[in-house]
Amino acid sequence: MPTEIILPRVDMDMATGKIGQWYVAEGGQVEKGQLLFELETSKAAMEIEAPAAGIVRDVTAKPGDELPVGTVIGRIFSVGEAYAAPSKPAKSEAAKIDTAPATQRAAIVARLEPGSPGGSLRATPKARRIARDAGIDLARVAGSGPHGRIQARDLAAGATMLSAPVAGGKALNFEWLARGTGTPLVLIHGFGADLNSWRPLLSYLPAGRPILALDLPGHGRSPLSGESSIEAMANSVEATLAQEGLGGAHLAGHSLGGAVAMALAIRPTIACKSLTLIAPAGLGPDINGAFVAGFLRAESEAALAPWINLLVGDPQTLGPALVKTTLRQRRDMGGADAQSAVAAALFPQGTQTSNVRSLLSRFSGPAKVIFGLSDQIIPASHAHGLPGTVGLHLFPGIGHMPQLEIRAEVARLLAENAAAADRPA
Amino acid sequence: MTEATRELSFAQAIQDALAIAMVADDRVFLMGEDIGVYGGAFGVTGDLIARFGADRVMDTPIAELGGAGIAVGAALTGMRPVFELQFSDFSTLAMEQIVNQAAKLRYMLGGAVSVPLVIRMPTGSGTGAAAQHSQSLEAWFAHVPGLKVVEPTTPHDAKGMMLAAIADPDPVLIFEHKLLYKMKGQVPEGSYTVPLNKAEVRRPGKDVTVAAAGVMVMKALEAAGALESEGISAEVIDLRSLRPLDIPTIAASVKKTSRLLCVYEGVKTLGLGAEVSAAIAESDAFDHLDAPILRLGGAESPIPYSPILEKAAVPQVEDIVAAIRKLARGRA
Repeated sequence: MPTEIILPRVDMDMATGKIGQWYVAEGGQVEKGQLLFELETSKAAMEIEAPAAGIVRDVTAKPGDELPVGTVIGRIFSVGEAYAAPSKPAKSEAAKIDTAPATQRAAIVARLEPGSPGGSLRATPKARRIARDAGIDLARVAGSGPHGRIQARDLAAGATMLSAPVAGGKALNFEWLARGTGTPLVLIHGFGADLNSWRPLLSYLPAGRPILALDLPGHGRSPLSGESSIEAMANSVEATLAQEGLGGAHLAGHSLGGAVAMALAIRPTIACKSLTLIAPAGLGPDINGAFVAGFLRAESEAALAPWINLLVGDPQTLGPALVKTTLRQRRDMGGADAQSAVAAALFPQGTQTSNVRSLLSRFSGPAKVIFGLSDQIIPASHAHGLPGTVGLHLFPGIGHMPQLEIRAEVARLLAENAAAADRPA
Repeated sequence: MTEATRELSFAQAIQDALAIAMVADDRVFLMGEDIGVYGGAFGVTGDLIARFGADRVMDTPIAELGGAGIAVGAALTGMRPVFELQFSDFSTLAMEQIVNQAAKLRYMLGGAVSVPLVIRMPTGSGTGAAAQHSQSLEAWFAHVPGLKVVEPTTPHDAKGMMLAAIADPDPVLIFEHKLLYKMKGQVPEGSYTVPLNKAEVRRPGKDVTVAAAGVMVMKALEAAGALESEGISAEVIDLRSLRPLDIPTIAASVKKTSRLLCVYEGVKTLGLGAEVSAAIAESDAFDHLDAPILRLGGAESPIPYSPILEKAAVPQVEDIVAAIRKLARGRA
């Protein structure tokens, strides 16, 4: 079967991309990883590598064409593979998403707020000058340069957003899993899960602290609205917490929720006290693409079980319940389409399109990263090279679900992190 | 006002300047190894010996320090010597006279004397002449107060800067890149001068400023032309004068483009690009920088004899293209 060449998402808030040039012509042969075409976004031009080796056919996008993220723009046939014309114009389902109007784009820039977190922010002298003159808080600008460096062009995009509503997000479904006093713990689940996935952990957490869990867009009871990007999801969580009147939060996120938590942690409105990231996405380029595809595609227990088992170091940990529950929810709530859209945007072809690593260094409170060394979804090696102040907790033999596999340990680390932040300095 | 021009090579333009100066001023004379009967290692002096005689087109022994000493002495007595160092690499032998005498005497004698000396410095790699005949040592001399150091890149400038240098009351070193000698261009007839302290914008652009010296200007122009089709507009500045450096011209350009690339053939470390970068970082253009300043310079090695390695040891057009692209696309 030929491999589809898909217009990837290379920027957090990118809905479409323009083809710059093809480095390989129709009928040309490529090696996997060879430069295939150039993709221009509003911010940058990127060179995209061939996803497979073979002969490039059915190239439908010409230089200058602007197409939605996820559009199939060609196919790669293995050498010797019989050519078969595409049955329909080469456009995938994913092309339907991400057509939200620009007004819904994440508002990544806000007015300067005193006392916003500083940290090791990278910005060019020109960007700093423009921000100074315009009163823009650089801490809330996503940098498009190397190492997340903010360049003048990032402010040009942001400047038009200043008059737009700050929170582009919609309120999400959430539930108070525990009541109590003090700063609440806010739990953000991973891809394909929902707020209920935290319940097994609850009895391990010390009583007394309020706990709020929410459903990410396209998950549980929260509909997918607008664009599927980390920043857009963070906007929705931010709006939800604001409506609930939270004056501060200890953030904890798993996998995709970890990336969202990182994006939230530096927002002044969240007043994030501590940050605990469990097998977080957003720290590196790769993710198990076969898992994402297989998980989404499966319609029976037999088809889903092997993928679910990949989630954990020891499949005995899970039992059959999770497979059944996942399938039932998918049937009842119809989340599969929305999650496919999310996956197409954030994890196309085994690639994480959003890297929020640079945000982590800007969070000044206590932060912990928990990884299972046998994680088969996101490699634990993504935790390498984080700022030295981030606590790293690596568990041998544990997979992608430490919060299920080693509940007591994860609960303890969560509690310790929150307690450290609550302690008067 | 004479507008008449003719096409001359870079070498012919220099010869034209020398002849004009010698006709106009009896004090002007030429010295150097093989510049007389042989016409110069690169043919620059040609048949000038036939026109002006051996007293004014003097072959010197293979003794660069002695030759430089005679030239400095002659200049002190009011003559206007133009001394050719066959390869600028041989300036190592003449260093004492250039750096300790020519550059210092005006200052040490309270302005009572000056040293109106011109030293011609055939320079650079690309001719397969290996490590001792291919260096770009401009930065050594540009470090010395009391010297003027220039590097023309067009026949027009070669002639005009030579005439300006001969007329200048102080020592001027003219670096002539060997690869430019055959390059042709329109050159005005008669006498004219090109200032010894001004850079020149060779190609206007808006995305990236490329400050280049010597033959790298030509390579930068080629790179800028190649990038036009990608919608990248590079401004190419020919530094021309290395001491003094025309920082205001570069700063004005950087204020417009926000990005700077320095390209020079001398060894990258502690070279021209270091000075240009630092001066721009110190200037009021700093707040306009939207990317790190990049440098492309010679490799950290002697120039190799192998033609392939020789090419690899200095910036080439494709290196410049890649660097400009990186800057223009915010990936530097």
